[in-house]
Amino acid sequence: MTGDVLARTYMITGPEPELWYRDLISCLQATFGSVLARAGADPLAVLGAGWRFLHLPGDVRSEEFYYPCPAGESGGVDLGAALAPHHGLHSRWWQPADEDDLWREVRATLAEDRVVIAAVDNFHLPFRPAYGDVHAAHLVVLYGLDEVRGLVYVSDAMPPAFRGTVPIEAFLRSWGSANPTDVQDAFFSDSRIGRRCLDVRLDAPPPPLTPEVLGGFLRTDVDAFATVTAARTGLAGFDAFAAELTDRCRAGDATALRELYPFGWGMQAQASLHGELLRRCGREWGDPALAGAGRAVEAVAHAWTGLRITGAHGLGDPRAVSADITHHATVLRGRYASAVDAVGAAAARL
Amino acid sequence: MTDMLVTSTIARLCDPVDISGHRNNTAISAATQTGAGAFNVWGNSFAAEYLPAGESLVHVAGVPFRFPPVCDGPDNVRCAGQFVTVPAGRYDWLHVLAAAERRCEDTVELNFGDGSVDAEPLRVSDFWAAPAWFGEIKAFESPVMHYPHHVQRGVPAVMWAQRVPVTRRAGLAGLRLPRNVAVHVFAVTLQRAEAGHDR
Repeated sequence: MTGDVLARTYMITGPEPELWYRDLISCLQATFGSVLARAGADPLAVLGAGWRFLHLPGDVRSEEFYYPCPAGESGGVDLGAALAPHHGLHSRWWQPADEDDLWREVRATLAEDRVVIAAVDNFHLPFRPAYGDVHAAHLVVLYGLDEVRGLVYVSDAMPPAFRGTVPIEAFLRSWGSANPTDVQDAFFSDSRIGRRCLDVRLDAPPPPLTPEVLGGFLRTDVDAFATVTAARTGLAGFDAFAAELTDRCRAGDATALRELYPFGWGMQAQASLHGELLRRCGREWGDPALAGAGRAVEAVAHAWTGLRITGAHGLGDPRAVSADITHHATVLRGRYASAVDAVGAAAARL
Repeated sequence: MTDMLVTSTIARLCDPVDISGHRNNTAISAATQTGAGAFNVWGNSFAAEYLPAGESLVHVAGVPFRFPPVCDGPDNVRCAGQFVTVPAGRYDWLHVLAAAERRCEDTVELNFGDGSVDAEPLRVSDFWAAPAWFGEIKAFESPVMHYPHHVQRGVPAVMWAQRVPVTRRAGLAGLRLPRNVAVHVFAVTLQRAEAGHDR
């Protein structure tokens, strides 16, 4: 093997990326979880530590990995900080700077022994169920590049779970796809992929999760739920979101339901991970009130199902489902209130 | 031998409920016609070849269920608050074969002959490559998922056996299913209260 060949082959050291998955999460949490596991952190302890509500009107994009994330002072968004507000997890979007050398940044990142999270269109990836059929914006982990044999090493925890090689040409089609409007997937198509990638960094290994540390996280988040801000945050923010959603349904606005599915996925995934973490800690620490609070938060995640699926099936006639949307928003609001109460009570004892 | 006796005892107390008049969704398809099923909004469906024969009597953990028709019209009830009349009687458990479009918990309202109504939780895990989050029994599984235009390996579709307690010691008259289109019910069986245990 010549030096030139070696220079065009990049692979992370150590084991292949972990396929980290839960049934209510999206590729966003799955890929971040994979990065965290590689960094030696417990993905559930980091991604499940925070629990908040945030809706940014006009911001929702039709991508599996959409998550509300306000732009910082520089205009950039830090999805890592949004997903893990209590940890030093950070990320930034980037795109190849050189159209004539699309792999330059990927090579550099892999050479640092770090993986890359890449946005893709499922339509062009042979291992995805949507291959050759449905366009949808998705995230995968890149952990190797072999330009000699023309292969990219891809890891994807979302069922049917794949870890292996994809021909470079197929990956380039997916990575650079226009992800055009697809009637078979109204929620995750019509969003240009644009060869976007995420650079994810964990500032430092997370400290051990103790009752005192978790109690601090929970009190901060409960305060945020109870505080009225200019943005749609907390319980008041949910009320504003739900009121607008039902109004738009009554007015026949299908866009409201098209946005509900990807937006609700992020909120649902976060609640499911937070609830699971609290249940786990409650069991390990012999704290049934904390475990019960975790279950109450999981009930929030489960109530998101009714709202999201009702909206998905009602896309063709929003007026017809407006009463059911109101019903499920009311149920979900009740679950939020119960869970915030339970978490607050548990946190006060930690 | 003990397991067989328990199974036999349970089966003796169970009565499958006729829900044929409420079926409104087709969730099972043949490999040659995958587009005929649409359990969820993406048109995914269970693979018929891995499921019991249509309208056969099946047993899951000793509980008998009347399996729905297969590839012969609607096979499940997509829940929207339908009211199912049941044979009047005292029951301990409501058993269902069900699956959900994502993990879901809602309520089923138990209507009693004396006019009382109890809402009890109905918890159903996702049908799409998911674990039994609520401790259900995996009743049936197709190891492949049907998409409208192809058969997908590596993504199983799961049908769960779940149960709901009937805590009130009164005669049951009917069930109001959840007002939740994410929940799909394929079969319902009621388990009678044992004599002497219903006072």
